Formats: sequence, C-alpha cells, structure tokens
Amino acid sequence: MASALLPASLLLVVLLLIPELFGDFMAYQIGLYLIYGIAAQGIGFLWGKTGVLPLGQALFFGIAAYVTAITLRAEGNLFLNLALAAIVLAVIAGSAFVLAALVFRGRNESGPYFSLITLALVMIAEQVAGTATSLTGGFNGMSGFNSLGNLDPFGGFYYVIVAATVAVSLLLFILNRLPVNLIAKAVLDNEPRMQLLGFPTHMIKGAAFAFSAMIAALAGGLFASHQGIVTPASTGFALSAELVILTAVGGRFHVLGPLIGAVIVGWASTELRDSFPYWELLMAVVFILVVLKAPGGIAELFEAAFRRVRPKTPTSAAPAVTAPETRFDKTPRPLRFEDVRLKIGVVRILNAVSFETPATGIISVIGPNGAGKTSALNTITGNLSVTGGRIMLGEVRIDSRPPHTALSNGIGSKLQVPSVFFSLSVSENLVIAMMAGRLRMSDLFKPSTFQWRSKSLSDILGHPSVPLKEEMTAPVEYLPQGHRQFLEYAMTVAAEPSILLLDEPCAGLSPDETALMTKLVQSYQSETSRLVIVIEHDMSIVEAISDKVLVLHLGKVLAFDDYDKVRQNPQVQAVYSGGTK
Amino acid sequence: MTALLEIEGLTGGYQDTNVLFEISVKIEAGSLLGVLGRNGVGKTTLARLVQGEIKASQGDIRFDGQPMGNQPAHARRHMGVGYMPQTAMVFDDLTVQENLSLGSSGKPPDLYFDLFPRLAERLKQPAGTMSGGERKILSFVRTMIEDTKLIILDEPTEGVQPENINHMADCLRERVAEGAGVLLCEQNLNLLSDVADWFLGLDSGRVTMTGSGNMTTRKDLNAVLSL
Amino acid sequence: MSSVLLLNLAWQISTLALVALGLAIVFGKLRIMNMAHGEFVMIGAYAPVITSMLGLPGWLQLPVCLVTVGPVAFVLERTIIRHLYGRMFDSLLATWGIAILLREIVELIFGRGYQSVSPPIAGTVCVFGADYPAYRIAVIIGILLGFIGLYWWNTRSKTGTRIKAMVGNPNLAEAIGINTARLSAGAFVFGCCTAGLAGLILAPTVRIEPMMGLDYLIRSFFALVVGGLGSLEGLGIGSGIIAGTQTFLGAVASQTYGYLAVLTLSTLFLWLKPNGVRSSSR
Repeated sequence: MASALLPASLLLVVLLLIPELFGDFMAYQIGLYLIYGIAAQGIGFLWGKTGVLPLGQALFFGIAAYVTAITLRAEGNLFLNLALAAIVLAVIAGSAFVLAALVFRGRNESGPYFSLITLALVMIAEQVAGTATSLTGGFNGMSGFNSLGNLDPFGGFYYVIVAATVAVSLLLFILNRLPVNLIAKAVLDNEPRMQLLGFPTHMIKGAAFAFSAMIAALAGGLFASHQGIVTPASTGFALSAELVILTAVGGRFHVLGPLIGAVIVGWASTELRDSFPYWELLMAVVFILVVLKAPGGIAELFEAAFRRVRPKTPTSAAPAVTAPETRFDKTPRPLRFEDVRLKIGVVRILNAVSFETPATGIISVIGPNGAGKTSALNTITGNLSVTGGRIMLGEVRIDSRPPHTALSNGIGSKLQVPSVFFSLSVSENLVIAMMAGRLRMSDLFKPSTFQWRSKSLSDILGHPSVPLKEEMTAPVEYLPQGHRQFLEYAMTVAAEPSILLLDEPCAGLSPDETALMTKLVQSYQSETSRLVIVIEHDMSIVEAISDKVLVLHLGKVLAFDDYDKVRQNPQVQAVYSGGTK
Repeated sequence: MTALLEIEGLTGGYQDTNVLFEISVKIEAGSLLGVLGRNGVGKTTLARLVQGEIKASQGDIRFDGQPMGNQPAHARRHMGVGYMPQTAMVFDDLTVQENLSLGSSGKPPDLYFDLFPRLAERLKQPAGTMSGGERKILSFVRTMIEDTKLIILDEPTEGVQPENINHMADCLRERVAEGAGVLLCEQNLNLLSDVADWFLGLDSGRVTMTGSGNMTTRKDLNAVLSL
Repeated sequence: MSSVLLLNLAWQISTLALVALGLAIVFGKLRIMNMAHGEFVMIGAYAPVITSMLGLPGWLQLPVCLVTVGPVAFVLERTIIRHLYGRMFDSLLATWGIAILLREIVELIFGRGYQSVSPPIAGTVCVFGADYPAYRIAVIIGILLGFIGLYWWNTRSKTGTRIKAMVGNPNLAEAIGINTARLSAGAFVFGCCTAGLAGLILAPTVRIEPMMGLDYLIRSFFALVVGGLGSLEGLGIGSGIIAGTQTFLGAVASQTYGYLAVLTLSTLFLWLKPNGVRSSSR
C-alpha cells in the first residue's frame, strides 16, 4: 500500500500549498475545478476500467446538489446532515447499481445503449429540475443557504474539498492494486469468457457504475456548498458532456488524470475565454486529437515521458499461495438431455435430443458439420436457451440459466475459437482463471489473491511440452493460435470443473501439439475422475480417449455407444465417414 | 513463361516485428503450392502478404508479371487474387446467399450445392448462425466461384468433417485443372499430399524445405511439422 | 381529431424521418455514432442564409447546401471518421468534438443570433377542410415520394449489402474486392448531405441558429433506437412513434410532457428492446 500513499501524499501537499502560494481567490477557483475533477475521476474509473461510458453523470451530481441545498436551507445539526448525506449516497449508489445491472443483464454488447440511457435520464432530470419550481426553484435554481458547517467557500471550505479529493484519489490508487482492478479490465476485454468463468458481469458493471455515481454525488454535494446556488444546469446534459471531455483530455486510465484535466481545462477556460475568441474552437480540436491520437489523455503522455526517464522495473513474482477450494458441488453426476429442442428463428438446431451420460468418463461428440454439436454444448452452459425439453445434471436442472451460473454447477467450457483475454498477459489470464469458482467478495480486495495457484494448473504449466511457461508476461494477442488453445485449456481446467466441455480442443494444432493436448485431457480425467465431453473430428483421437461416443446428425441423436459399436452402426456409416488428419 | 505468382526475398510481419524472412517461391498457373509448418511459423502471414492485408517490409511480389507493389487488397482482388482467411471467413450478418453473391462473378454455385447440400438448404440463413465447419465450407465455395486466377486458402479444412474435405480436394483439383494457381496453407498432411504439386515448408519464418509433389515423401512432410 | 392536428402529425413525422435518414445511414449502417449529425442539419439550414449573403438567386440554395455540406463531410471522413470504424465509443467522442467545432465555426461566422428565411412557396392550401401552409404540404408529399423512391432503389441495389459486409468484416470485404475507403466515404458523405438537405427544407419553418442541431440529434437517435437500426421501415416506424408521441402530447398536454414522454419511451426501448421495433437488415 505504500505505493498508493506516495502519490496521494504528494497530491495533498500540492493542494495545501495553493492557498499559501496563490491566495484565497485562486483556491476558490481551483476548488471548483477539483469538484468537477472528483466527478470526472468517477467517470474515469468506470470508463477506463470497464469501458462503460456514462453520458449523464450530472444526474447524480445534480440530485446530490439539490438534496444538499434543500438540507442546508433547512439548517439543522451538522452531524444529522452528514448522516443524511451518507444515506443519500447509499440510495444513489443502490439505484445506480440496480439500473446498470438490469440494463446489462442478459446482454453483452449494450454499452452504447447504456450510454444513451444515461443521456436520456439526465435530460429528463434537467427538464424536471427546470419546471418543478416548487421542488427545485425551477429555472432560476435554488439558493439562500450556507455551506456545510458554515465554512467559507473562499476560506475553510477549500480544505474540505482537498480532503475529499485526496480521499477519493487514495481510494482509487488502492483499488488499482487489488484484484478488483483486474476483474474490471477482464470484463471489458472478454465478457463472455468472464461469464463462463463464473463472474456475473452485469453486477460487476453495475457495481462500477454505482461507485462512479457515488463519487459524482459526493462532488455534487460539495458543489452546492461551494457555489451557494444549484440550478438545472447542475443536472444537465452540458455538464455531463463537459465532465466526459475533462476525463478524456485528462486521462481516463490514470487516477489523477481527470483531476489534471479539470484543473487545466478549467483554468485555461477561465483565463483564455475573454482574451482568445477561438478558445472553444481550440478545445474542440484538442479533444478530437486526444480521442484519435492519445486516448489516454494528458496523464498518459506524462507517464510515457516519465517512463523514458525511469523505465518500469519488473516486479518480482510473489510466492505462490495455495488457492482455496472451489465452491461448487464436486460429486460426480450424470448429464441428461431430456427431449431437448433448440430453434433459432426458423432453423431447427436440436430436435428432441435425449441421452444420459455416465457420471464420469470421457464422452466424445461427433457428427457432420452443422449437426448441432457446438449448439448442444452452448445449451449446457446457458449461452443458448432451449426452446423445449430440459437438461439435468444429476437432480439439478441446468438449462436456460445465465452463462455465469454454469460454473456454480461445476461446468467448465472451452470454446471452439479460443476465447481468452487478449489485452492481458498470460499470467494475468491465469490469475483470473484461478479466481473462478473460488472467490469470495473479500478476496477481491486482498492482494494475496494474485498469488493463488492450484495443483491442476501447476501440473499443466509444469508439463515440459506445454509452451506457456516461457510466455508468461507476453500479451496474449501476440500468441499463435495453438498456444492460445493451450492457454484457454489451462484456464478452463484451473477451476477443476466437474464437467469439462471441450469444443474441438485440437483445432489449429500441429500433430505433435494434438498428441499433447489429448494426453492432457486424458490425465485430467483419470486424476480427477470427472466427466469430460469433447467435440472432435479426428477419429483417431476419438478412438483413443472415448469411453462412449455420441453421434449427432441434423440435430438428432444417431447413436450413443462405445466407439466400436458406433463405428459399425450402418446409419452412422451412411452419413458420416471417418478419417484422420 | 512468367509464373503466375513470383515472390522474391519477401520479408514482413506486424507493426515493427518481422515474422517472415527472405521468402522466395513461384507458383505457376495450373499448379497448387502447399505451404506447411507448425503453428506460429508464418503461414497466415505469408497468405496475408500476398493478398494485401499487410504490407511487406522488403521483397517483391509479382503477379502475372506485374509488380504488386503496395496495392491494397481490393485492388489485388480485381487483379485476380482470391482469398479465404483462416478466421472471420464469412460475413456473419449476411445470409448465405448474400455471402455468395457478393463475391461471385456470376458463375453459378449450383455445382457446389451438389457437393455441399447443406449450403443450399441454408441460403436464407445468416452466416453467423451456422456452425464453424459450415462457415468454412461457405467461405470455401465463395472463394471457388470468384473469377480469380490465383486462389489463396489459409487452413480451409480446420474443423471440417473429413467427407467434406474430400469434396474440397476435388474442387481444388478441378480449379487447378482449369488453369488457376493455388496457394494452400495447411496442417492437414493428408490433404496436402493429395492435391499439392509443390511443397514449401516453413519454420520460424524461413523456408526450410521445398520439393515437388512426386519427390517429397510423407516423412519429409512430417519432418517440417515435428517439434 | 382535428385536421390541423393530423396535418401537424404528418409534418412532424415526415420531417423527422428525413432528418433521421442521414443518421440511419451513418449510425445504422456505418455504426458511427455521429454526434455531429445535428450540426450538418444546421449547416444545411444556413444554406439559404449563405445564398442570400452571396447575392445568389434563390434556386441556387440546393447546390449551395450540397457544396457546403458535402466537402465538409468528405474532409471530416478522410481525416477523422475513417479511423473510427468499429470503434463506436470513440466515434461518439470524436464526433462530439466535431460538433462543438462546427458549432463554433458557424457562430464565429454568423454570430449567435437567430436568422430566418421565407418559404419558397407562400400561402395556404385547403386540405381536409383546414387551411395549411402550402410549403408544408409540398414538403410532406416530396418526402413521401422521396422515401418511396429510396425504398425501391434499396431493394434492387447491392450497396446496402456491401456496406453491411464492410462494417461487419472490413478485411474480408477488401479481400472480395470492395474498396472500403471509397464506400465508407461515399456513405458518410451521402448521409451528411441528406441531413443538410433536411436542414435546408426545414429552414423556412424554424429559427436558424448555431445551437439548433442538438434537438435534431437527440430526436433522430431516439427515432432510430425505437424503430430499429438498419432498415427503412424501422426509420419510418421510429419517426412515427417519436414525432407522433411528442406532437400528440404536446397538443393535448404541454410541450414539456411531450418531451418527457419521448425521453421515457426511448429509455424503455433502450432498456427492454434495444433493437427497436424492426431491426432487420436492409
């Protein structure tokens, strides 16, 4: 945590010096910029980590400002006011969480639509604030109240703002070093993969949004005290857009970025607006340039320059910590399809599929292209919902549930096209995989979670032919396809699932790599005595590993038996002739 | 007679890193060159360099005697170079029919529908809802019906069921017989032995083996792929 | 329902459809969240002002509009927009910057005050027993015919399919011979010119000032969200719902309620039915 305290302390010192060096009026102005900066820091956290872009943060800013104004106007006990503030913050955070979680639930690509929703909401708020005169003072706004604790905005109140700024920044610095940070980035990188690892991504986004809303509300409360007046503009679209611009220009990937953006843009705007008629024009051009060329904003440019002088020292790997046990039911249970039907539009993909696997063993699924093999696997994980029938795991019904619940039933899935976290390094990918199925809420905030290792993972990585050991710090996007297959396999197996679903694990692998993957799968099954279901085309592999073979054709089960019997089945021979690579 | 495709000293890769070094090879019209190598040796990079998706750092590519220079991919297509990529090989949002019609020269795909009847059944279906293997077949047929002189295919049989692979081999042989040149990157040694007239083996971005179809044995091919 | 209300509905729906058409192409097809869409409408609305400033005859307003909007759109596409395909959030931000830029430039040239121009067709016509401005009737009919023509063209042309292909998989589009740079520039410029044209047509009926674009932007986005991106039917349905709700409630209750109803409706659609009423692919 020392590395978080240092920049926060520097910030504190710098901010405390301002009234000493530049006088009270400058402190008053900087105070306002800091207030906007705090709100922008919330945006930076949400946008920089999870990729969700809120276009209506003034909604929370303004509501908090109005509530603060109303409360302060009523005067009353300072401690009661602060308690009320805490309650309001909690209510805002709770509502924001529910809003975001509902919008993102069951939908992966709804980012831009969420942004438009926040835009529409802030416009409603602005409209209401301007017309509900009895509640909000209408178009002219609400004034006639003293600041919190009767502190002077040109004097003591500045220190309240500084305290808030440093507190928020410190909190953000600390969060950056915790597993929470990695989880948020992973959700942005590959949401479906996160869901298959058991993370409820809509709730993660909801929590991030709620957090940003709370920070915006905090800023709004400070704003009311600082300015002494709250108008509909405080809950308006223009302010929301301005905050986004400050975040972008300052830098959304750095904690202090939005503060830098707010102070620089705010100061420059005040200084230059009168003397330089092209000021707004210049701002627009700068903003466009930042979006195109420097998406990390000013803060990232600073960091790049800093890194040239002092390159990043690679952190030494911390010692491994044994991971806690996975928290799902590990008793072996058979998988049963009962008259499962799957229709997408007019296309019938699965047509009354029924079978029951043994509780352990390796089952291969074969069939011509388009037989419905991958779709069958997708119905097991919940990526597709069945349109008829049901899927049972022992006594538990598992079909038509959201994909992030699959792991809680012990289902681990490796996809046809390797789905891993491309922007993260191999080791970061594995860290996230290690959290799957084992995480408690508190572990998100403990640095030791980064060091979790399990036997299943160490076995794979330790295998001499598996290529990942040397590539631990490499970003995954540069790995060749075959190595990504091994990475995704390792990640799926890290959670030691009771049912391991593998969709063409040898696709794109050379003959030697194929032999290695086959051996890994066999040893997993023999060591853990669990159920493995593999989709394969290569009959030599199917013959070598299968306890039973399921043949699908045109969405129907053609045969389900051991390999030799299936091979001799005339129906199977008719539609599907085997071959090897 | 100038070869259909001449590559000389080709070096190229991604951003600042080169992945292929000093590749020189020729493809005559009416012949098929099989390119083999383990994962990550540069087969896809070679395909993309010839097709135009990425630019070479050094070296020449001459098509039909004309230097390709820095022509963008769509211009190369109009020169007569067709391409079936390894990933993202169809337009997911378009129907099967639209996928086929965008590329075609008007050559009817009917012959191909006989070989791959599933495609005909799915004409109105969005390509993205088809299985992985079906998408490969769609992309393959789209590539075959284009009016092209040189066809580049990057691992077309991955995930395709063996019976269909045999059909694909027949289609390739026929196109070659009609005079097309084919650059086929593959890990499927059976297919390569079946259709290739020439072999090019790659390792770590360099040529490690060349040989004609008749003279190269299965053992030679295995050697290129062995660890 | 009175005839005037009916005619107002027809006017609001058809003009919104025309305004939103450009965004339907740029956002619906090219997936560029063009926050400067309203500014292109605004620039088009200034065309009559520019024409009279230059002392040109009135019938040159249309060419002036195209000559102003077209090159601006083209330059913006080649310098900024072309980096943004497939980057929806970045396109939102960059075009927001462009919007501010365009607003400022117009303000610097023309000042912040309102301008107004007179309609090319004066007087009223008696329709359904009510006296209604002839210009508006002509515009309604013109837009209707225009959309019919556009629909007919779209069913026969491969351009929409090629754009969809290009947006979904630009590398493959290039591989099959589509000149993606030319196609995307053409589509973007066409979309912006349509917006400018809408502005030109609306100019005699609104106050022309640099900030007028925001309202058109918001309503266009919501019309598309509700109706469905990527299809002409969606555009029509969305415009009908949005303009219809706003006009109807505006007449029955107040402007504020009309506006609030539109916002609430759009929020609900964004949440529950983000693909809109009709999201087919055309």
